[in-house]
Amino acid sequence: MGRREKGNVNQGQKPVRSLRLPRDRVFWRESMAAYWYLFPAFLILGAFVFYPFFSAFRLSLFKWSSLNPPGAFIGLDNYRYIFADRYFWKAMGHTFYYVGITVPVTLFLAILIATLLNKGLKLLSFARTSFFLSYISPIVAMVMVWRWMYNTDYGLINYFLSLFHVDAVAWLNDPRWTLPAVIILSIWHYVGYQAIILLAGMQGIEQQYYDAAKVDGASGFQTWWQVTVPLLSPQIFFVFVMSLIGSFKVFTEVNVLFNGPGPLRSAETLVYYIIRSAGRIDNATNHTGRAAAASVVLFGIIFIFTIVQLTLTQKRVHYE
Amino acid sequence: MLRRMMLVGLAALVVFGMAAVAQEPVTIEFWHAMSSGHQPNLQKLVDDFTAEYPYITVTLVYQGGYGTLQGKIDAAVVAGNLPAIAQVYENWVTPIAPILYPIGNFMTDAEKADILDGLVASNTYNGVLTTVPFNKSIMVLYYNKSLVTTPPTTWAEFFEMSKALTVDLDGDGKVDRYGTAFRPAANPEQFLIFLEQAGGSILNADWTEVALNNDAGKTAVEFVGSLIPYSYITSEYMSDHIKDAAMFVDTSAGIGYNQKAATNAGFELGAATLPAGPANFNSMIQGTNLAVFNTDNLTQAQKDAAVLLARFLLRAENTVFWAEKSGYQPVTKSAYGTEAWLTYVGSHDFQVPMSEQMLNAFAQILHPNYGDMRNVLSTGFEEIMRGVVPPLEGLENMAAEIEALLE
Repeated sequence: MGRREKGNVNQGQKPVRSLRLPRDRVFWRESMAAYWYLFPAFLILGAFVFYPFFSAFRLSLFKWSSLNPPGAFIGLDNYRYIFADRYFWKAMGHTFYYVGITVPVTLFLAILIATLLNKGLKLLSFARTSFFLSYISPIVAMVMVWRWMYNTDYGLINYFLSLFHVDAVAWLNDPRWTLPAVIILSIWHYVGYQAIILLAGMQGIEQQYYDAAKVDGASGFQTWWQVTVPLLSPQIFFVFVMSLIGSFKVFTEVNVLFNGPGPLRSAETLVYYIIRSAGRIDNATNHTGRAAAASVVLFGIIFIFTIVQLTLTQKRVHYE
Repeated sequence: MLRRMMLVGLAALVVFGMAAVAQEPVTIEFWHAMSSGHQPNLQKLVDDFTAEYPYITVTLVYQGGYGTLQGKIDAAVVAGNLPAIAQVYENWVTPIAPILYPIGNFMTDAEKADILDGLVASNTYNGVLTTVPFNKSIMVLYYNKSLVTTPPTTWAEFFEMSKALTVDLDGDGKVDRYGTAFRPAANPEQFLIFLEQAGGSILNADWTEVALNNDAGKTAVEFVGSLIPYSYITSEYMSDHIKDAAMFVDTSAGIGYNQKAATNAGFELGAATLPAGPANFNSMIQGTNLAVFNTDNLTQAQKDAAVLLARFLLRAENTVFWAEKSGYQPVTKSAYGTEAWLTYVGSHDFQVPMSEQMLNAFAQILHPNYGDMRNVLSTGFEEIMRGVVPPLEGLENMAAEIEALLE
């Protein structure tokens, strides 16, 4: 009895199984072809995503030694160390503060800007380019410019504030103002990118929905809130998830702006903590294991947030 | 005839003999982090070296900034493809000291004795000179010449002048210019200098106990604490705050930036040796050394060639050339007496105190946990200078944290 016949017999006896795996030659041939097509992607993802990912888990259980990598197995000691380190918790607090303000404010402003751009401005392409320019500027160059703008004595921002009789703020030297300084420049940097994505989404909404709203006598705000925003939810959701993940990983802005973690380590974020633990900045000692443990914790946080987001927003996202 | 034949025979022997000892060509890589401005000068030194040793080819490999170079070296240790020679900070190689090729074992006594006293300990592992100094800078006192005519020479003068030069220029109740300035987070070495000048140190001589909070440590921390009201505290470069302080301790490597900032601000900047504390006026030397690696991927000929290069770079004329072109300081005693250096110093006023300070200096200890200790000092010193904790309490906190690192 050939495989095919055997399969058919089984199919006859237990029809449910046939829905699971039609194990015939055609199926395998097609599957193999698909696997071959996927193979290069698996290979690249495996080498550059999955291996480093699992390697970080493994390294977090070792006391790093460059001479005999990965060093001695110490179980969860690296986790114990970072959880007992007050600077880890400070970095965690700073990161949540940064994410908690940057993500919603940037998204809100991006929706606002996209709405204005969608009003059919005459200089739409110029405005679009202008907003996108902030995003495509190299981040290091951009932060260097902001450093000057934040300068206490000569900075543009303090000059602007002085017009309203506001005292000069030591943006880069006062621990209370360092995170707001990072947040302001991050919002400026990312808002254009988000606005362009949302604008593209808005322009894809069928005119008939607006016509229907008009027939129903909806006001401008009602149309925006009841039609534009719900139909834009897939793009809003995408931007929200991506910006949340990106914001948790903030590092360059801090490192370039303060050339360190900021006064009294007031702008030290989780990724800064990780990179410093690995001895990559400040000429610090290489604690790769600790850095890996902190990375695993950061991964866990982002993972949980993304799952929660997916679950909560699934019902609210409307796909046309 | 016989005589002629003997002569020909002898000549042939000499020629063949020379050919026999002529070296096989060898190529070595030199990993460095010297940015584009320094590269032509480094290339010139390497070209001079290969002209003298034609069988050696040196490939200069620029690895990016210091952080990147450190990362590349770390990765190369694991991957087993280290270069023959590289620029290294003490912290980077202390944990991998067993795979360093001890350059000192292949240097003459005169060469070893010529290295500046302040740089010997920071290149010596287990009693053997292992690495050699390369690009070094020193902390000196910079001052605004329009405000300071004679720079302070003692702690007491430094305190009095800092106090007198702290002023509220516009009468709004806020200080507009401070007597001095500190960058405690970025530059905990500023505290280590006061500690050294008070006769103290982080650890005792055999590194078994914390010495930071002994009497000398207390003297140092109380002195810096007394300067808090007259000090501008920042994490940024002093060149960005040149008008905020009349005097400040900063690295000689920053001279170019500091002078430019002062000129833009409309005044001339002076440099002086540090005001002396109860024990001395020593300053701290920073910068990288050269390490030759002793790993399986390198042949003996490559290690030998790398040692020759390290020794070549230590020669007076070469360390002087490098100092003149790069702004770093010569690293050997004989260099300071050469005609070339004296001529250079004669036309560069600021080099007089820098040279004097290099001869009265110390460098970091080679404890395997020094990187973590520096981190403790950086955070603790900043908390003291920003008034988060009282000086003596801050000192005890730092001592306790360093104690934990000794385990």
